[in-house]
Formats: sequence, C-alpha cells, structure tokens
Amino acid sequence: MGALGVALDFRRRNGRGSAIPTAATGDIAFLLLIFFMVTAIFVKETGLVVDLPRAEAGERIKQDLVSNVYINKRGQISIDDMLVSPQDVSALMGQKIAANSGLIVAIKADQETPYRVVSDVMDELKEVSALRVSFNTMPDGNPGRKY
Amino acid sequence: MIMKSRRKKMITGIELVSTSDVAFLLLIFFIVSTAFVLDMGLPLLLPAKESARQVLRIRQSNVATLKVNADNGLTLDGKIIEVDHIKVAIAQRLQAQPQLVVVLETHPDANYGMMVACLDELKLSDARRVSLKTSR
Repeated sequence: MGALGVALDFRRRNGRGSAIPTAATGDIAFLLLIFFMVTAIFVKETGLVVDLPRAEAGERIKQDLVSNVYINKRGQISIDDMLVSPQDVSALMGQKIAANSGLIVAIKADQETPYRVVSDVMDELKEVSALRVSFNTMPDGNPGRKY
Repeated sequence: MIMKSRRKKMITGIELVSTSDVAFLLLIFFIVSTAFVLDMGLPLLLPAKESARQVLRIRQSNVATLKVNADNGLTLDGKIIEVDHIKVAIAQRLQAQPQLVVVLETHPDANYGMMVACLDELKLSDARRVSLKTSR
C-alpha cells in the first residue's frame, strides 16, 4: 500500500510541473556573453606589413610560447612593435629566452625579403640559444602555383 | 475601479520577454566575429652554437645539395631543377639512401620565399635531415 501511494503521488507531481523554467535563460546568455567578451584576445602587436610565403606543409604553431619577428621586404625588422637593427635581435631575444626557455621565435618575413636578413637574424638567435624557430607561412590554396 | 488600477500597472511594466533573445543575438555575434589567431609555419630547430665545433662526418655521396642562387634559380647537385620537381627528386633519392642529408644552400641575395618554398617541398618529401646553409 505504502509503495503504491508514493507512486501515485509522484505521477501527480510530474503532471503538475512539466514546464522547464526559462526565466533565467537571459541571465545565462548574458553571463556567457560577458565571459566571451572578457576572454577575447585582441591583437597586441601590429608588426609590419608582410606577404608571407605559401607552404603546403605548414603546421599550426602554438601561440602561447611564440615571439614574433617581422621582417618586411625592405629588410626592416620589428620585434614587439619596435624597429630594431639585426645586431639588436640577440639582446632582445636573450631577455625573452631567459624568461621563457621554451620560446618559439616565429619569423614572419615577406617572401621577397633578401635571404641575407633572415640568415643574419638566425645567426643572432643562435648566439642566445633561441633555437626553436618557425618560418611562418600562409596555407597554400592551390599547390600548383607556388611562389 | 479594480479593473482600472490593474491596467495602469500593466502599462508601466517594461517588456522583458525578449531580453534573452537580444542577449543571445549579441552572444552569437561575438562568437562569430572573434577571429582566432591561427598561425601556420614550418618549425625548425637551429643547431646549437657549440655544435659547430663538433664535426659530423657524412659521406659525400649521402649529401644532396639544393642551391638557391642569387637570381632565385635552383640547382640540385649542380643540375637545374624546378620547385615542383624537388619533392619527387628528393623522395627518389631518399628511397635509395635513407641516410640522405639535404643541404639547402641559399645565396644571401636570393628571395626568402624561394627558400621557404624549397623547405616546404623538402618537408613534403619526408626529408628529415635538412641543413640550412648560406652561401658565402
């Protein structure tokens, strides 16, 4: 008898409150909105205007350990939005590698940059043991028309 | 009288039913318009400075030299080659000699883009042992 009584009671309650309370959806949406607005990362550096080379074998580079080195086709070098000479690269990167040993230096060089500049930058990086380097590229849409 | 007062109350209230819709629309707008920074690149580990002193002996026959000249022309072991043919040529040599080391020698006046194009092809051909060199 007791068990039956409980079952009946349950059914009755089920019938009464079958609607999902939707009053708080607006609040939830606003909270999500605020979360996305706060976590949105805005581009910190403007760098230089570069036309990156195209490559098929490009891999995704993790952003959290990356420091960008922009080199435009005139051979100007920009690190952290400062124009630097090739000789200054080692000092700047030396500081960065001291703070973060897993640093990846992303070289964002224009495809028309003379290789001399890139080679000099790599020599400077070797000086301070910043050995993890990435040549940043654009994903290649049509493989037949490379370079 | 009672009816009148009730009506007044209804008019003074602001419609709150659609606020969640507005919030969701804003949310969707922000999600869609957030541009995630997706950087692509060819990762590479430079040789340490000290390793220049440690001489690694490699047989000359196991070395393939891919040169990018000052005029952006390419030669593979002295023979002129096109960018599109590097992958096949290196893959063939790798099959014959798995120990093959590819030296990518670039002239300082050559374009960086050409060198990256070559590096890309080498990567596609599964050449694991690549050495970068700058012509003097």
